[in-house]
Amino acid sequence: MVVYSFYIFDRHAECIYKRRWLPRPSSVVASKSSRPTSEASAPATAPPAILGQSARTTDDDAKLIFGTVFSLRNMARKLGGEDDNFVTYRTSQYRLHYYETPTNIKFVMLTDIKSPSMRVALQQIYINLYVEYVVKNPLSPAEHPGGVGVNNELFEESLEQFVTRVLS
Amino acid sequence: MSSATKASRIGEELWKTRVDKVNAELVTLTYGTIVAQLCQDYDGNYQEVNKQLEKMGYNIGMRLIEDFLAKSNVGRCANFRETADMIAKVGFRIFLNIAPTVTNWTSDNNQFSLVFDENPLADFVELPDDGRAQDELWFSNILCGVLRGALEMVQMQIEAHFVSDVLRGDDTTEMRVSLVRYIEDEMPPDEE
Amino acid sequence: MTQPQPPRHAAMLSISNGGSSLAAAADKQQPPQHLHTQSQSSQGLRVPSNRKTIYDRHLNRSRNAELSRASFAFLFAEMVTYAQRRVTGIQDLEKRLNEQGYPLGLRLLDLLFYRTMSSSTSSSLSSSSTSSSPPNRPLRILPLLHLIHGPLWRLLFNRPADALEHSVSPETPNEYMITDNDPLVNTYISVPKEMNMLNCAAFVAGIIEGVCDGCGFEAKVTAHNQPTEMWPGRTIFLLRFGESVMEREKVLERAGVK
Repeated sequence: MVVYSFYIFDRHAECIYKRRWLPRPSSVVASKSSRPTSEASAPATAPPAILGQSARTTDDDAKLIFGTVFSLRNMARKLGGEDDNFVTYRTSQYRLHYYETPTNIKFVMLTDIKSPSMRVALQQIYINLYVEYVVKNPLSPAEHPGGVGVNNELFEESLEQFVTRVLS
Repeated sequence: MSSATKASRIGEELWKTRVDKVNAELVTLTYGTIVAQLCQDYDGNYQEVNKQLEKMGYNIGMRLIEDFLAKSNVGRCANFRETADMIAKVGFRIFLNIAPTVTNWTSDNNQFSLVFDENPLADFVELPDDGRAQDELWFSNILCGVLRGALEMVQMQIEAHFVSDVLRGDDTTEMRVSLVRYIEDEMPPDEE
Repeated sequence: MTQPQPPRHAAMLSISNGGSSLAAAADKQQPPQHLHTQSQSSQGLRVPSNRKTIYDRHLNRSRNAELSRASFAFLFAEMVTYAQRRVTGIQDLEKRLNEQGYPLGLRLLDLLFYRTMSSSTSSSLSSSSTSSSPPNRPLRILPLLHLIHGPLWRLLFNRPADALEHSVSPETPNEYMITDNDPLVNTYISVPKEMNMLNCAAFVAGIIEGVCDGCGFEAKVTAHNQPTEMWPGRTIFLLRFGESVMEREKVLERAGVK
């Protein structure tokens, strides 16, 4: 499976972390090397978007994604009761995985459509990476306006490892 | 099984299996130096020290709740009574290895007391004998802030304060906790 | 270069004078006043009727007690955050953390002696202050360093420190180094690149300094990053003893004191 991107939104609906891995070679489908090496894409030179059509920025993507998961999650609760939540949805291009903590932190991951459920993986990221390296880091603030404190070395490195070694 | 008994069991189990430990005295003495530093920085203005401790606790609470959820994996509480048991029997157990008694509920179920038999933060402590500290300083006030910060993160606005403390010569150490309101989800600021 | 530091000295005095050597908040502010209260506190502090006070409960009660490591991490985090708000740079921050550790060292010293004493002479448990065997305070540098490397580290971190070395340079015979491969206080700290000199174990350095001073060994203690492949968080605590200590050391050596 391939992980395209990963986002964390805080309780103030702000995207406090985003990370994209090399996009799926959608335009260059020629070689079926369906596993792009997982490098962080430098935002400046990054290809336009995950699914490669318009010139959206990652910021725009984050906003779109937040709007989508927020609506879906509210709809799930309206229909299925307060404790219901949505877990994943799939398009013909990608699959979105969702995990929300009781503190309203939302973890979102986009993968290829063949990927199995990432709910447990997202929970692991929350428990083993986010809580250990962001929440407990004295040099990170308690909240992260603008993403301050989430993008620290320990967190980023371990996320990279988790995604490249454990998930793929 | 009552929610209190159930919570007690969860708390005991987590304490035994999921919690990394350190020497209790390191924590106790570290907290002592924090309070002492504040007393020094605020020049013995104990009201201000109480306030600062509460603020620090609030910051801690906001972080601590994440660790609590990560360790306990418990879901949302059905009501405030259940929340109280969860705080007393699971929260206090996994962070301070104590389980204060939940008592003195108001009839609307929005206010209760936590009564502490033990308080590791105050081990080794005697308040300054300056004629004021025993009337003005709430040594463990950080705990009020912790509850406020932690519960705010799970969408409950509460107010907490100590009403008695054995360090002040009272027979019990008691904290009063009141539910102010449940907090609505925040929307993105620039929602079209 | 060493400035006299009245607050520190005073704090030390008040501790050795205090009825309870460990009253955490009690002896900090306005130490001179505290000394006075010893005699004039006839009305004194109120105590609960069940007498759950530090005087009535056993000092070793918490000896083997444990608390959550996360609780310590959160408290320490707040200490660092609070210190950060009041400082101008990394050095300043480390100084401040050092100062927060210092009184803790003084207190731990008393606890340490009390413990080593009560375990060696179990008969003196209840009347520690009038015990026939005086506390075994180190007189020379080496026993002091062993006290820090072993018992102090075990009390704080449940294990001894990883190494103890003497400076090899003939110019700095007063320098000693204690190594911790993985300091507990730094467990969750990810230091940003622009602050890569920072080592929050300055707090522990302060504790060591308190212990040294409390024993009558004037010293400056600092924490330094010395990462290795295997131990990225490896920290060296550099102890620099004052001249007076070195002179005394020579005298004691000639006198054959160990």
